[in-house]
This record gives sequence, C-alpha cells and structure tokens, in this order.
Amino acid sequence: MEAVVRVENLSVSYRDRENWLRVLHHVGFSIARSEVFGLVGESGCGKSTIGLQLLGYRHANMRVDGGSVLFHGQDLLQLGRKKLDGLRGNRIGFVPQNPTTALNPSMRVGAQIEETLVLHGRAADGQQSQGRVEGLFDLVGLPHPKLLRQRYPHELSGGQQQRVCIAMAVACDPDLVVLDEPTTGLDVTTQEQIVDLLVALRARIGTAMLYVTHDLGLLAQIADRIGVMYAGHMVETAPSAGLFAAPRHPYTRGLIASVPRIDDPVDAAPATPLHGTLKRSELPPGCAFAPRCDHAEEACRITIQRLQTIDPVHQIACRRWRELPPTPARVVLPSTGRSGAGDLRHPILEFDRVTLAYGVSGGLLRHIFPGRPFIAVDRLSLAIGHGETLALVGESGSGKSTVGRAISGLLRPYRGTIRLDGAPLAGTYRRRSDEERRRIQFIFQNPDASLNPRATIGRILERPLKMFFGVRGSAAKDRVASALLEVSLEPAYARRYGDQLSGGERQRVAIARALIAEPELLLCDEILSALDVSVQANILALLRRLSGERGISMLFISHDLAVVRTIADRVAVLFHGQLMEIGRNADVFEPPYHPYTQALLDAVPTVTTVKTRSPDAAHGREIDNAACAFAGRCPWQLGRLCVDEAPPWRQVSDDLSIRCHLPLDRLPRRAASNPQPAVTGAQP
Amino acid sequence: MTALDHPTGASGWLGLWRRTPLSFRIGAVILLLHGLVAVFGPYLVPYGYSEMRTGIPLTGMSFEHPFGVDQLGRDVFSRVVHGAHIVILLSLSGTALGLVLGSIVGLLSGYVGGWIDNVIQRLLETLISIPFLVLALLAMAAAGPELAGNPVLVILVVALVYFPRIARMARSAAIDIATRDFVTIAKLRGETAWSVMRRELLPNATSVLLVEFALRAGYAPVLIGSLGFLGFGVKPPTPEWGLMISENRALLIISPITVLGPGLALASLVVGLNLFTEGLARILGRTVKLGGA
Repeated sequence: MEAVVRVENLSVSYRDRENWLRVLHHVGFSIARSEVFGLVGESGCGKSTIGLQLLGYRHANMRVDGGSVLFHGQDLLQLGRKKLDGLRGNRIGFVPQNPTTALNPSMRVGAQIEETLVLHGRAADGQQSQGRVEGLFDLVGLPHPKLLRQRYPHELSGGQQQRVCIAMAVACDPDLVVLDEPTTGLDVTTQEQIVDLLVALRARIGTAMLYVTHDLGLLAQIADRIGVMYAGHMVETAPSAGLFAAPRHPYTRGLIASVPRIDDPVDAAPATPLHGTLKRSELPPGCAFAPRCDHAEEACRITIQRLQTIDPVHQIACRRWRELPPTPARVVLPSTGRSGAGDLRHPILEFDRVTLAYGVSGGLLRHIFPGRPFIAVDRLSLAIGHGETLALVGESGSGKSTVGRAISGLLRPYRGTIRLDGAPLAGTYRRRSDEERRRIQFIFQNPDASLNPRATIGRILERPLKMFFGVRGSAAKDRVASALLEVSLEPAYARRYGDQLSGGERQRVAIARALIAEPELLLCDEILSALDVSVQANILALLRRLSGERGISMLFISHDLAVVRTIADRVAVLFHGQLMEIGRNADVFEPPYHPYTQALLDAVPTVTTVKTRSPDAAHGREIDNAACAFAGRCPWQLGRLCVDEAPPWRQVSDDLSIRCHLPLDRLPRRAASNPQPAVTGAQP
Repeated sequence: MTALDHPTGASGWLGLWRRTPLSFRIGAVILLLHGLVAVFGPYLVPYGYSEMRTGIPLTGMSFEHPFGVDQLGRDVFSRVVHGAHIVILLSLSGTALGLVLGSIVGLLSGYVGGWIDNVIQRLLETLISIPFLVLALLAMAAAGPELAGNPVLVILVVALVYFPRIARMARSAAIDIATRDFVTIAKLRGETAWSVMRRELLPNATSVLLVEFALRAGYAPVLIGSLGFLGFGVKPPTPEWGLMISENRALLIISPITVLGPGLALASLVVGLNLFTEGLARILGRTVKLGGA
C-alpha cells in the first residue's frame, strides 16, 4: 500500500506568552491512495493542528519539535515557501470549517476557483477556466453551474458555500484533501448531503482524505480508518468498522459511549460517559488520559505510552489493553420514572395561534406602512405542562429559536397570545413584571458569550438573587455556594472569571444563574451544540437530575434528535415555521412518522449503523407559499393538494398528532434507509 | 544563578517593562519628565512666572536664559516650567470630563438603539461636523465675556469638543458588546439601561475607552494652546504655553527661541502622550485578545 502522506513522530508546540506548550506528542500515521482517514477527539486534542501540518502551515507562535510529514516522500516541514505554494491548492486541497469566512465576500465564487486553476497552470484564463469551473460545480452537485458561477458567496446557502469550497479543494485533482470539520456549521440534512458528496467524490476521483472532526457518528459514514486523539497523543488507530465494534482504548470507549444515540431507549442515558475534563495543568508524565481513566494504575501515570500494534490493523497506546475487560455491552440507565407528559389542561406555558414575524414596524407605523413582514412562525399552538420537558426540533430556519425569542419577550408576537400559567404574557420583556421574568429563565447556546468576562462568577450569580429576592451579603454568598454545588462546581469558583473556565464549566455556571432565580420554566436554546460529546453527556445528566428534583418545566430547543431523545418528555417538530408533528417522545421516534420527521431521522449519522442510502430522497426544492411548507421536498407529496390546501392534524393516538394530508395508514412506517430502531425497553 | 542565565526570562517589574512596546517606553519616559517638571520645576527655576527685569529683553538664547527673555523682561524658560502643570491639568481634566460624558451618552445610545440612538447620533454628528476650533470659539462666545479666561471654561470647552467623538467610539463598542448573550440575559432579568451600561457594558469597554482617553488627551494641549494663541484661553499673565507663543509671536524674527521654547515643550508633551497612547493601545489590544482578566 503506497502512502500518499506519512506523518512520522511529529511533535509540535505552541507559544503561550513566554512558555512553549507541547500540543502534539510523537504522532504518526499514514494515509494511502483513495483512503479516508478520520481524526477524532475533543476540542484541544490537537487534531486541527495535524490538519494544518499536512498543509505545511506554520506561524510565529508555533514550533515543530521533531518528526516529519512526508508527502510522496518529501518532507513538507523542510520545504521552502515557494515549493509549498506550488503544492497547496494544487496537490493538497483544503476544506475549512466555516465556508462563510473562507470565501472572499467581494469576489464571484466562480472567479475564486478560476484563480486557483490559473495559479497552478491547470487552465488558461478565460473560456477554458470557466468551462472547468462549470464542470467542477457539476461534480460537486451545484445546480445551474453557469448561473451560480456568477454569484457572490452571500447569495448562496451554507451548504452551497461548502460545496464551492470543496470544488476549490478538488479543482486541481489533488492527491490529498484535508477537511477540517467541514460540516460542523451545517444542518443535519445539509450535512448528510455533503457527506454523500464526499463519499461520491472519493469514489470518482480517488483522492486520499484527512477528515478532522469531533463527530464520531460522521466518521462511521465516511472514514476507512480512524485515529483517536487525546491531549496531543494518538491513542488508538483502527479501521472504522473495527473501532466501533470493538474499541480498545478506555478513552475511545468513553467517547463512543458518550454519544447519545437515536436508537437508545427513550429517556435513557449512557451509563459510562467520560468523567471530568482535560486539564492541561494536571497532565501526568505518563499516559495523558490516566487522570480520567477508570483503569489507570500508578504505573500508567509515570510510563509514557506509545502506539503498539495489537493486530495487523489496530494500534493502541495503552499499557493495560490486555487486562481491560472486553468492551461492555452498551449499558443504559433506566428511565428516571418521571411522570412524562404534564397536565396539558393547565399548562405552564401556552402558545395560542401565535404568528411570529420579522420586519414588522412597531406602533403607529405598523398601520401607516403595513409592509410585507417575513413570517417566521405561522399560527403555532403549543403547550408545555408543569414539570414537563418539551423539545422543539428542526433545521436552522425552522423558526425554533424564534419561538424562544418570543417567549423571552425579545420578539413581540405578530398575532396570537402567549400565556404563562393561564395569564397572558406581555409581548415585550419590558412590560412584564419582575415576577414573570423570574419564572422564566434562559440558557443560551454559546458558553463563551453567556458570561460577562469582566465579572467574577460570584458577582454574576449574586445579581439575580438581589434583583428577584433582595438577598445580598453573606446570605447571598451562601446561596451562590450551594448553587455552584448543585451544578457540580466547587464553591471556590465564585472568585474566578468566566474566561478561566472551560466551555462545559461556563455552561454549568449559566445553568446555575438560571436556577438561582428559582424559575418554573427553563428555556434551553441549543445549549449543547458548542460542547464536546463527553461534556454534553455530563450536562445532559445534570439537566435530567435537576428537572427531576425540582420539577422545573423545560423547553429544550435543539437540532440534535439523539440528544432530544434522551431528555424530552414530548417532542415538537418544526419546519419553516409550521408545526409538523407533536407527541410523546417515544411516539415521535416510532412509526408512523411525519414525512419530514422521517427525513430528519434518516439524516442522523449514527455510530451503530453504516447506511446505504437511496440517493436524493429528500433533496427536492421547497415550493414558495405552499400550504404545507414541506411540499416540494416531500417524497410523499400528493400533487397540488399539498401546495394548495393546509394539511389537517391527524390524531394518531392520544399522545401523537401529525399534520399531513396523507391518511393515517399511508404515513411512512419506517425510515426509508434506516433500520428499525431496536427499541425494546422503557416503553411507557 | 545570575540574571544572565535567563536572557528572556527576566521577572518582576523589569521583565514586564521589557515586554512593553518601545513606543510605550519612550512615551512613558517623556511623560514622566513632564510630570516631574510640572511638580518640582516651579521650586527649582530661578524666576517667578510674572517676574520682570530678569534680563535684557530679546537677547536670545544664553546659559542664563535658555529660552531667552521676552519683551517684558520675563525669563521664558521659567515661565514654561511654571506653565507645565497648567497645561497638563487643563488637558487631563478636560479630556476626563469629555470621557465621562462621552462614555455615558455613547454606551446608553448604542445599547438603547432605535430612534433615541438615531436622534442622539445626528446631534453628535452635528457637533462633530463643526471644526473644533470654531466650536470652541462658539462656546466661548456663548459663555459671555465675564467667564472669559476662566480655566473652568477651558476645561468645559475641551470636554465639549471631545465628548461627541468619544461618544461615537463608546457607541460602537456598546453595539458590539450588546449583541452578546450575557447582555441579553441581563436585559431579560429586567435590569435598567443604566444598570446594564454600568455592570455589563462599561467593564467590557474599558480598553477601548482608555485608549480613546489617552488619544484625546494627547491632542488636548494643542487645542488649549490654540485657544491660548487666539486669546480665548486663560488670561495673561498665566504662563500657558499657547498664550506664550501668541504673546511672543512678534519676536519670531528677532528672538525666535522665545517662541520655539514653549513650542518645543508643547510638542514634546504631545509626542510623549501619543507614543504612550499607541503603546497602551497595543498592550491593551494584546491582553484583551488573550482574554486576560
């Protein structure tokens, strides 16, 4: 097997002010022709640094301490700038994480690719290069290449932008493409399409790929071999099927166990998530994972672990691998035995035919200039019972976060009423009483932005106490300490600043800040999507415990169906501002499905199933102003009926309603290409 | 182990000093000299600021009179030294007042937004569109003759000239910070605009505002000097540098040092302040980016 690229014994340090910090320790692997090598690990493990090294990238605060990156036998780390420039974009392509910032906003997308082609002498400027660009656009599945070539990046959707970046990466028929989290910013359905495209491209042009991601489920779809990184060490490499079937390293096992699965029993949580977080200051001289490992001995802490080959294709850096118990069957905790759906006759929060719109002028102007508002959510009726967790799922643009904005009072309902415990809630937060504000609390997506960087955690937590309860002084300090303990943080954290905390810890502080107000409804807007899987699992466990103990109602907004499945009592599926399906958690994930729910479920990458999917099931185009927003993309569409007439609600059971023209017996019974989820236990 | 063993790892204050940008160090030294002169200088120079018959007028530079002697027989060097604290105090307090006003108006305007912000911004733009000397003279004229030459009026005028410019910077900082979630959380908790500004916006805008303060303070001596030159600043015989340049301008041909002396003092102060500011901005920019609390 001839290797396109071989990384040998690579060690890299970054400068942190005065000190050099080792971020890669003797990493080695190779990628063969037309092989996809997946690199996975949590944030800070060094996976992106490896990706950059394969491009020969260097900067002033980075130092290569040893090793080599051999690309067709020549060491990229020794090459001069000129030679590297000749390779990058030509023999080695790169697909970045964020296509929006990777593309030049003031240049037409076609011209940006032509630039690459002309620079590397792959096409003469003019007609020839334009033809090549159109061919490339065709290759990456962009519609109407002739027209799209003339567009600016902002005129394309996120998925289309990423396709342009991929086209650019493969423009010169490279031998190697480095993909750095290429689908992280995209919706599940878009992500699925991009992964499909990459699989097809690999088959057609046979380039080797390095796929860097934090998402194990994705790698199951695309990677041939997978390398697992921890704190700058490669801890396990194995063929992807073997890795998922029998992970050997304790970290890999924990990582796989932490991923919430769509096929887990409803309301169950993995029993063996990783505990703790990576603490750079506590790294032992030996195995970096030892502080978090259940099987670590003293000898692990002091002996340096190197990859050793345990069978021809499987390597692992663990000295105890022989003694480890065989991979445990997946253990899941039983349901917490919560009551499930709350009493919906007296809900804590109720949406009564609420329409939410943007671009509405306020006050008097609304009557003088009616304008044409953009309807984000259309006549939504929804209720959350006391003590119940309702999950709101959908792709971006579905209006789920807009619903959150309306509840918080940041966006006044265009029509309709929101009621809190039966009493109408003022449309804007300014007009609400302190009591109403206290009863609803919020946790947001981005832990980096949710805490004031110039205030101590103590000050942040004391503020709501003073505002809502008039508590201050030592009484407040005590309440802050117990609030921190409740979210499993040391009371000493009160003296720290937000930027001294990890993302997961910050999110815990945000939860503590919400809980300290003793709310009745907690609104969680994508609170896990910025966190690593092991941290996600811990936060989920915390939320489950808190909602069980305190009986707080939750509205859990998320695009991640597997996460929703582990936490929600009921699930509402939103698409383009229309409610498509609502029901008990178990029932929504069970057939019959709404066609859109089916498409969503179908798009979820899982670590257990390697899918062979029928191409283009749900890739059609939406129809403007259709009565059912999903018409056009729906494989089951009933001709003009779905476009002209609003679909009726169909009561599948007491606990499940589906809004579709399809009669009950014709609703999709199983996800088209996903095997039936093997759910047996934990049925209500 | 000696210090030589650690060529880069010098610790403590000295190490900190060495890591600052060069411009910051030069600026700081110049400012320190100005500060020392302002505080101790008046006790060290041989003549008082209004003391006449100290030498033969218009004799030019000499060891006795480094900046020469003016028409009234006053020692220009002594006058420059006596004037140092006046220039520095007027500049700093005027700029400080402008900073306080500008920060409050700018942060609130940026945070509240909507039509209030619009109205405030148009008013500020109106003020900014008037050349600052014209604005200063207008304000002086409006204040009336009985206040003319009063140092408080000079401070108020400096503040008036600077606050709209500082307010615009503060506003753009506020707009940026206000989009972050912790501000939204504070808003939803029911905090008043004033409280959001004080607790959430101001602490996060300090680096921007500090740089803005230093930058404006660097030009304030020029503004005060210009006012003095035009006869709208403090009253004679106050040894304010701009005023001295104005008084001696007729001597420019006969005894140029009487103008160049105070001019040099003014220029070195402005250069010092500007170097210091530039260095400060770089230091703050760096620590802010690194997230140092």
